[in-house]
Amino acid sequence: MSERSAAATSRPAFQPGTRNPYLPMPARVIEAITETPTIKTFRVILQDETLMREFSFEPGQVGQLSLFGAGESTFVINSPPTRMDYLQFSVMRAGENTTALHSVRAGDIIGVRGPLGNCFPYEKMKGKDIVFVGGGIGMAPLRTLLLFMLDNRKDYGKISLLYGARSPQDMAFSAELPEWLSRSDLDCVLTIDREAEGWPHKVGLIPNVLLEMNPSPENTVAVTCGPPIMIKFTLQALEKLQFAPEQIVTTLEKRMKCGIGICGRCNIGEKYVCVDGPVFTLAELKDMPNEL
Amino acid sequence: MVMSTDTAKKFVSFESLPDFLARLAQESRVYAPRREGRAVVYRLWGPDDKAEFTARPTESCKQVIFPRSEALFYFSRGGEGENPDASSLILQEAPEPGPAVIFGALSCDARGFLAFDPVYDGCGTGGKAKDVYYLKRRELTTLVVRTCKTPLNTCFCTWVGGGPASSEGADALMTEIGNGWLFEAVSDKGAALLQSLPDASEEQRAEGAASREAAQGVFPQPADIKDAPVSLRALFDSAAFWEKQTAQCLYCGACTYLCPTCYCFNITDESNGIKGLRMRSWDNCMSPLFTLETSGHNPRPAKFNRLKNRVGHKFSYYPKIHSGRFSCCGCGRCIKSCPSSVDIRKIVLDAIKEAANV
Amino acid sequence: MAIQDDIKSAIAEALPGLSCVIGWGAGPEALRAAPLFMRDAADVDKFTAGFLAVNNPALFLPSLKGAKVGLVVKGCDARSVGQLVAENLVSREAIHLIGYPCRGVIDMDKATAALEGRCEPGEVKGLREENEDIVLDAPGGEIRLAKKDVAADKCARCRYPNAESADVFVGEKAAPVVERDDYADLAAFENMALDARKAFWEKEMSRCIRCYACRNACPLCVCRDHCVASSREPHWLTQADGVRDKLFFQLIHATHLAGRCTGCGECERACPVGIPLLTLKRAFSRQVEGLFGYTAGIDRSTPPLLTFKLEEPAIKEREW
Repeated sequence: MSERSAAATSRPAFQPGTRNPYLPMPARVIEAITETPTIKTFRVILQDETLMREFSFEPGQVGQLSLFGAGESTFVINSPPTRMDYLQFSVMRAGENTTALHSVRAGDIIGVRGPLGNCFPYEKMKGKDIVFVGGGIGMAPLRTLLLFMLDNRKDYGKISLLYGARSPQDMAFSAELPEWLSRSDLDCVLTIDREAEGWPHKVGLIPNVLLEMNPSPENTVAVTCGPPIMIKFTLQALEKLQFAPEQIVTTLEKRMKCGIGICGRCNIGEKYVCVDGPVFTLAELKDMPNEL
Repeated sequence: MVMSTDTAKKFVSFESLPDFLARLAQESRVYAPRREGRAVVYRLWGPDDKAEFTARPTESCKQVIFPRSEALFYFSRGGEGENPDASSLILQEAPEPGPAVIFGALSCDARGFLAFDPVYDGCGTGGKAKDVYYLKRRELTTLVVRTCKTPLNTCFCTWVGGGPASSEGADALMTEIGNGWLFEAVSDKGAALLQSLPDASEEQRAEGAASREAAQGVFPQPADIKDAPVSLRALFDSAAFWEKQTAQCLYCGACTYLCPTCYCFNITDESNGIKGLRMRSWDNCMSPLFTLETSGHNPRPAKFNRLKNRVGHKFSYYPKIHSGRFSCCGCGRCIKSCPSSVDIRKIVLDAIKEAANV
Repeated sequence: MAIQDDIKSAIAEALPGLSCVIGWGAGPEALRAAPLFMRDAADVDKFTAGFLAVNNPALFLPSLKGAKVGLVVKGCDARSVGQLVAENLVSREAIHLIGYPCRGVIDMDKATAALEGRCEPGEVKGLREENEDIVLDAPGGEIRLAKKDVAADKCARCRYPNAESADVFVGEKAAPVVERDDYADLAAFENMALDARKAFWEKEMSRCIRCYACRNACPLCVCRDHCVASSREPHWLTQADGVRDKLFFQLIHATHLAGRCTGCGECERACPVGIPLLTLKRAFSRQVEGLFGYTAGIDRSTPPLLTFKLEEPAIKEREW
């Protein structure tokens, strides 16, 4: 059997599993979706059917995607654990790895390591109102929790989503937005930074629109993710709206390598974002050294 | 691994030592310190080599268990040259390492691995993800520690719970007496290694004990650094303090790469298109690239941020999550080999003093 | 030492107009000083010059832009400053140079060798300079070493012991040790057969731990955070622990310094495992001096490899 024909169909030379945490699980890309000029979404299934069947994770956990030859990078699994037909990752093109990942097409084999890290405190959030505030690619981690909650709708109170991007073209998950906007059990607000022709939704920076929405902090948890500058002002806006630090949840990005708390690069003080995070409440962050 | 029975004590004369090493080398890779110019480095020992058992090694012996670079696994694709077939993939694990002996390490070197152990045993994931590469090499490596007779100016093992003849982390100790070495097993692995050697006489045992006691007496009294974890945390936002402490730092990696307890690494793919490997290689927190994010954001942009993290990790963060144990074995190599004479002892003491005044 | 007090006075006098003055102070052990950043009178009291004033303070200049900085400089340090200025990497107006006549500095390789069999350098408790000797307080008693036996190689071929470009010069100028650099060290190396040379570098480079102290100690290595050594774009070097990549980096480094290296030797001194890196750089320096008649750090013009002339006088490419 030639190497070429052996490849996609036969099992790899080792049994992937939990023994060696550095070995990625080969996964086939079943769909590569161009979301925006800089964001692509990949839907993958693990090549080993048993592993795929047994794969379980919780909303907010991340995975390492390998493009062999380029390297590995960390992305949140942005499909919810309630929908296990495939695992979904969204990749913004920025560096060497992510640029290489953007060349991946349906049918290609990449590697997945995961699930890694902690998850959103979705148990503790039961019975509460939820305010999602996402900016740009920061919508990806919120998506997994949002869909998880919609799939377990009765467990949660009022769910609101404020999702912003620079322009309409920069909005990821655009195929899903009409459904999110039309659902009666989801209060979805979209915003862009500057006026654009044909844009029927809000125009304005996320923190300002959030203040305008004026969500009540009463029995509510806010979940936010986005670029550092947006996070900074969104946290300020939430505190202005009287959200306590315990009521604000965010998920961090750090340069990571091993993803299992060993390689030593993603620490903030004694916390390692790859194992103690990436999800932290603002109360937890305030306890940690200021080194975001 | 600590033995329950009385420890075996053996003696080997200086002349017979090469024979002993040669016997060990038949079964294992044997690493011993060797002088090369100004440096003393650990090298694979061969019968023609003269091991250096007087001058203290410039580098730690961590590379034997935590190589400077190693393959995590190999991958190959179908296709040709520059045009790999992305739909194909074969992964192959790296071959397992064989047994090794580190002969004539220092007691600080041995204690250095104790900082690695819990981390590489997967404490971060509650033991779910263990570093199989490190653990395998650790298991297969026997550490023979040469006790020190005198301290160097830069030694401070006594500050962090060590000493010239500490057996912590060692499998066997060797102490220079008269015309040879007194060997003493500390673990079963060590006992097995020493098994074939002749027993030491009462007199030789006594001489060894006396030599160690004398050494203990000339090592520096420990400074009181128990407040370091709290002090360093309290000074986290004191940029002026850190800028002053780190002004002379070159932010090279000499301190971290010579350090027996620095365990950070990088993972990169090295490939020629259709074949390659995922490689783990030493990395260090003094490099600006260590934390540089894809977006261009760097949480530790200046050298003071980075040296603060290095000192903080060793004397504050690590002890907080590892029962108070400092991630420093006091070998002083970071001081001795720093091209810019940065002294971590001074930084820690100054931090304790500064925090007390805040 | 009287000259030391005079230098201190010069520092104290200049300090009010400067953000700091960089010199040398006591190091962590007897045979080593440390770079000293002086910001007030108490700091100036800690200043020491002399045989241990090894570190090249010019290294810090590119990272201290924005405020006028003072440096106490040996002749070789001043050459580094001169080269940084010639390349427009720093502004001469933003630097205050205090020169003094340098009579050589210690080389730890040689000190280690001189002490072998007696003690390790790290066991020496104290050092005093007595004219042409240093006297060490060593475990077995005092050890006297002639400075010339343990001084850096660069000092034995020093053409510029005085910082000619200094704003203030303290003391009597010292005479150059030699009139010209004959590169005898290179000739000796080049007498080795090619195989032997290859084996030499393989052995030396196999000790390299890739800490890049050589790079970070080089005053003219200004790419720093964007170094090709760790770059993935371009991906010239792998992270493998092999001689090939290590030597490759050193050749890139040396090539990049061709005609820019002033021979201060900090790369080699900083190397924790004592790899003779200056040899590579000197091979290039000799070429550039020969081909372009350019002496880095002394000539004020743009380094020859950072510009081009249609016809190089020493190459005469149209006459081939």
